[in-house]
Amino acid sequence: MSLFSKFKGAASSASPGVNSPSHKNKKDVEPEPEITPLVKMLQNAGPIRSDGSDKFFGMENFGNTCYCNSIVQALYYSVPFRENVINYPPHSPLDTPSGHPTVFTPIRAIQNGGAVSHPNKPKGISAAEAMRRRAAINAGQPIPTTPGQRPEDKPDSPEYKKKHAMLAGPILELTYESANPYGMEESTFTALKDIFMALIANQSRTGVLSPQRFLEIFKRDNEMFRTSMHQDAHEFYGLVLNAVISNVEANAQRIKELAPPQDDSSLAQSMKTAVTSAATAMGLTSGARSPGTGWVHEIFEGVLTSETKCLTCETASQRDETFLDLSIDLEQHSSVTSCLRKFSAEEMLCERNKFHCDNCGGLQEAEKRMKIKRLPKILALHLKRFKYTEDMTRLQKLFHRVVYPYHLRMFNTTDDAEDPDRLYELYAVVVHIGGNAYHGHYVSVIKTQDRGWLLFDDEMVEPVDKHYVRNFFGDKPGMACAYVLFYQETTVEAMRKEQEAEGLAEVALASAEAGIALGHPQPNGTHPASISKAVSIPSTPVDDSQEFVSLDHAVTAPLPMSPQIPRSAPPFIASPSVPALNVTKVKAKEDKEREKKESKEAEKARKVAEKAAEKERQKAEEKRRKDLENTRKENQRLQAEQVKLALAASKQSAAEDEERRKKEAIGTGTPSESSKENGHPEKDKSFGGLGSLSRSHRGSKSMSKKSFGFLGGKNGEGKLTDDSSHTAVEGEAGPQTPEKHSKTSNGRFSFSGLGRKKSNLMNS
Amino acid sequence: MFVLPPPPRYPSQAAYNLAVANGQAAPMIETNNILTHPTGPEYQLVVGEGTYILKEDLHLATPPPHPSEAPVINPNPLATTPQPATAGTKLSLLSFSSRSSAPLLYKVDTNRSIRSGGLQSSIQEHPSEGRPSGDLVPGSSDGGGTSMTGSARAPLSIGSAPAFGEGNSMLSAPATSKDAGKRRKPKNNIAKSNSSFISRCIVHENLTKRLQDRPADGYFAFANINRAFQWLDLSSPQKAEHLTKILFTKGHCLCHDINQSTKASNHIDLIMGFSTGEIIWFEPISQKYTRLNKNGIINATPVSEIRWIPGSENLFLAAHMDGSLVVYDKEKDDAAFLPEENGTHTNGDSEKSNGSGEHSAKLHVDKSVHSKNQKFNPISFWKLSNQRINAFAFSPDNRHLAVVSEDGTLRIIDYLKEQLLDLYASYYGGFLCVCWSPDGKYVLTGGQDDLVSIWSVAESTIVARCQGHQSWVTAVCFDPWRCDDRNYRFGSVGEDCRLLLWDFSVGMLHRPKASSVRQRGSISSRFASPLQRAETQTTSASRLRSNSSPSYESDEDHTVEHPVEPRATTAMLPPVMSKVIDADPLCWVEFTEESIITSCKSGHIRTWDRPRDTTGSKSDTTLASA
Repeated sequence: MSLFSKFKGAASSASPGVNSPSHKNKKDVEPEPEITPLVKMLQNAGPIRSDGSDKFFGMENFGNTCYCNSIVQALYYSVPFRENVINYPPHSPLDTPSGHPTVFTPIRAIQNGGAVSHPNKPKGISAAEAMRRRAAINAGQPIPTTPGQRPEDKPDSPEYKKKHAMLAGPILELTYESANPYGMEESTFTALKDIFMALIANQSRTGVLSPQRFLEIFKRDNEMFRTSMHQDAHEFYGLVLNAVISNVEANAQRIKELAPPQDDSSLAQSMKTAVTSAATAMGLTSGARSPGTGWVHEIFEGVLTSETKCLTCETASQRDETFLDLSIDLEQHSSVTSCLRKFSAEEMLCERNKFHCDNCGGLQEAEKRMKIKRLPKILALHLKRFKYTEDMTRLQKLFHRVVYPYHLRMFNTTDDAEDPDRLYELYAVVVHIGGNAYHGHYVSVIKTQDRGWLLFDDEMVEPVDKHYVRNFFGDKPGMACAYVLFYQETTVEAMRKEQEAEGLAEVALASAEAGIALGHPQPNGTHPASISKAVSIPSTPVDDSQEFVSLDHAVTAPLPMSPQIPRSAPPFIASPSVPALNVTKVKAKEDKEREKKESKEAEKARKVAEKAAEKERQKAEEKRRKDLENTRKENQRLQAEQVKLALAASKQSAAEDEERRKKEAIGTGTPSESSKENGHPEKDKSFGGLGSLSRSHRGSKSMSKKSFGFLGGKNGEGKLTDDSSHTAVEGEAGPQTPEKHSKTSNGRFSFSGLGRKKSNLMNS
Repeated sequence: MFVLPPPPRYPSQAAYNLAVANGQAAPMIETNNILTHPTGPEYQLVVGEGTYILKEDLHLATPPPHPSEAPVINPNPLATTPQPATAGTKLSLLSFSSRSSAPLLYKVDTNRSIRSGGLQSSIQEHPSEGRPSGDLVPGSSDGGGTSMTGSARAPLSIGSAPAFGEGNSMLSAPATSKDAGKRRKPKNNIAKSNSSFISRCIVHENLTKRLQDRPADGYFAFANINRAFQWLDLSSPQKAEHLTKILFTKGHCLCHDINQSTKASNHIDLIMGFSTGEIIWFEPISQKYTRLNKNGIINATPVSEIRWIPGSENLFLAAHMDGSLVVYDKEKDDAAFLPEENGTHTNGDSEKSNGSGEHSAKLHVDKSVHSKNQKFNPISFWKLSNQRINAFAFSPDNRHLAVVSEDGTLRIIDYLKEQLLDLYASYYGGFLCVCWSPDGKYVLTGGQDDLVSIWSVAESTIVARCQGHQSWVTAVCFDPWRCDDRNYRFGSVGEDCRLLLWDFSVGMLHRPKASSVRQRGSISSRFASPLQRAETQTTSASRLRSNSSPSYESDEDHTVEHPVEPRATTAMLPPVMSKVIDADPLCWVEFTEESIITSCKSGHIRTWDRPRDTTGSKSDTTLASA
């Protein structure tokens, strides 16, 4: 990295044309925090919505934590996920009419110069260090600067924008824990929920969020992330999702197990009262899973069927596996469609990778292919851009040009798949910038509900046009490549509607392009980029209902519109305390487009009507809520007590559980099962060992839980023993740190046809 | 441990030159075209009929950036500055010989008779079949599209389509002399131009001699690369030396077309569309040009496709990226354009109501060709949607227009009547290219779903999806020399750097299991979608199209918008040949009698000779490959 910046410095000094005196002047004069394109875009936005869909906060980087920021942002804008995180646990006392009585999000005092220090930084790096690190990361985006000029002094640089995002604030300091109010143990899930809740609760539409506590907890639970090194965003994604699943399940389990019978009834009662919404009821009754916990699965989980045909006896066997995302191998000049097809291409199991056929009773050559049996609501595609070099010593990055369309259908479904022609739309792209796997920067480009596409680069949030999303196919200079793609299900109707709105933006953008090409002066000479960007956002907001309509298939999930949301809503809807900017410069864009304005007015009128209706509804709700509230508070207190009392017992039982699972693993056989699969038990070990990495791709559910056991273990000893037991089972002296573990296992995958596809990282 | 970033781009030409001079940078831009003859198995295409062999690779020089061009290069990969549009190298081929286009015309004629015959029989076969099931397709029936006076369309024999805008006295072109020598030329001399739009024009010193010496049946090629536009003689041994090269200042030429009805050895009408929205009418032999839509006065969005209206000497159609189709007259002056409120005639009203009544405006006539106000450009102005139009193509019978857009729609438009006939949707993603079969029965599209789709115009349905590309399909083209009335050969190229060849036979489609139920004699029933709804549609549609007595009840049946057919019920066609033929994504393909010509984004024009008959005496193949 340092070499990189050196190089950059040399390059920029070689081109003195960039160095204009005006920049130097700016160094001394602290520039006024001007209106950012984001703020400009939000100027004439209506009242803040209560579902959090119009909060655009950057996230602070504590030194190489961009992997976290990019993924958390993508998750936040995954509508069903956000709704469910907010609404779980269903009887949280947080959802009181007065907002968040128990949770107060401290807003950091803005310090001079924007160099914000964190006196009690728990990660063991000083603020200065963090800043330095961040600068180093940001050096990953080469900005031509003069040697004497700090990058953040140049108005167009990301550093400048980030600094000003911090200056503009508000900075939400998430250092507290609110696990208890949720009635849950503090976990990755509660910390994530804290982030989401804080964003929604805040009165500002923009700002910066400092996810300190979340990272602390995550690092506590995930050893390999404890360093301040660059980390794999996809790995982080898998760990967070699995942590959420296990936290939620553990919570349900705990409540179930620890609640004495009589309390069980009271709990049930409290549930009954609190859960008036059909959504939660559905969550409670969904299948064999523990109550109310199935939602993560319902959103992200799909089912893969691996069909294996023994070439000796022609017996075909099938095996279903769940996945939370698909890791696909890349080829130069290909498309995501094609990579997905390759994922499902037939594959020969031969030589060292033979298949253990039950029918023939031995290792045989076989044909195997993976197809998708059940499509998830949200399809996360991990593009395997990191691949081991020939000598297996290090990961290199593939700069293959892989195109991804805005919409997608899957070709590789099984014949009996439900709705095989399901239409997906791209809504988030996590981008890796950098030359290899060990350095670089992550940002995400996310499509928001009605504000078009936004670039989230740590503290900075900036509107971008739709075509911007196509800058990360991998062939452009700058080493920025799409790394994780998030597709969500949609309908043709929703797509068409959106295209209409986008069209207007496109027109403006195209004219801007033409203007640039023609050399027409931009309306505002200094910031041409911001102008055209502001123009390019579809300013006809899609209304909420429509948005939900678009998610037709989502009905099986707990409905997002549960009464809990409005509960915290009134203060915001009623409050005129939208940032003053919103009110003042409403007229700025008006001359831009007549039609836009008209549609906006229509929108406004409708919103007024909606608001009125909303108020009525809320009044009624308020009343009912107060009744509920009392009972709930009562229950809650009771519960909290029980929770406390039962904590010890819970740990005990958890440990027992752990023990039992371990035994299961040894006894019944995941290993044996998998050895049947490909005849090489030691290969499958890597899955177990990989745990967090590969679980999502291949492990059946029981597998996942198991791997959770050791990953999410409360105490290090438990983890260690568990880990070692795994390795013992699988007969390999496994490396002790999961990080190393994953690497070695990946190395081994090179000859495993099976593993190649699902291994998280790539191999040759 | 560390991978060097790509070399820095230079902020100015001077800095770049300095860097090159100091040896700090290798010259990254060649200024001369390079002709090579690579050989080997990787330069051969093996198909059933024989082996296509790469004859030559002509690499067009990418011009250095214009000195005045602001260094828009922002090394920040996250820079949000919009970049001007550009396009890979595309060619416009021109041959004065009638020989080269003969098969095409022949095909058109024969197939027309076959076509009408086939439709006739299909109608006889379906007389009682499910017509009144319009209720299965709710709502979207387009009254305007179908109240089109079928009578006006049908009586005219197919061979003689009326001229575009016929009947509008204001449009009647001044009596043009058929003598090509007296054709009107553009006004300005391009070599002496001091326009800020044109940077430089380099004419080959022996242009006149080269023009005289060349064989009459050889191909001229016009090709765009970056900000340059080149006129090449593909029949010349010195083909690497351009006849004329024009360098533009900032605008990139994205598309161009030659007027086939005015072409003569001493006159070529060429139009070019630019990333700035501007259009240039260029006559290469006299080196004269005229600028149209100057400074984007009519439409400032980039021109993604431009074509002469078949049979017209003056009128051409340009697709702008904001979703509008604009007809210009090469000789008319521009006037700032405002949609004509009452400019819509006859069927225009229904189109309008159609557009506003539903959420997607399908075809909005902002200015009709029948408008009396025809003193200035545009002649007509149609707004299809707000999404970028990626390509369009005229049908061989000069009556229809197929338009594909970024939003994944294919529109079949009766452009003479300014009516939308059909609207199809891609499986997913945008469409990037479109073409008609030589007989006008089928339309091919290629797009971001990695598929080539075959659509039957007469039956208003998808016929098959062709799966084989590994990335987006950027160009499709029929090979008229290998098409007959039942079998079609077409080729496609894509971002996967591959050329795929496909054989599509009317009777031999591989259908998915679920849908192999019905097999009938007529073309129409054979291809009708297994879904009953589509079945009825096709019947009524073919009725409309083929017959002279359009009945109004069938009008109601005819829906404009056709939903996506599920994968399970659509035939899949595999390619007969698939090969990586270039190092860079391909963007254009065309068939000539002797060869397949392809071009790629970085300017490689590759000519693949067709397999020689064993009886043939020509041994060029071996020479070329030797």
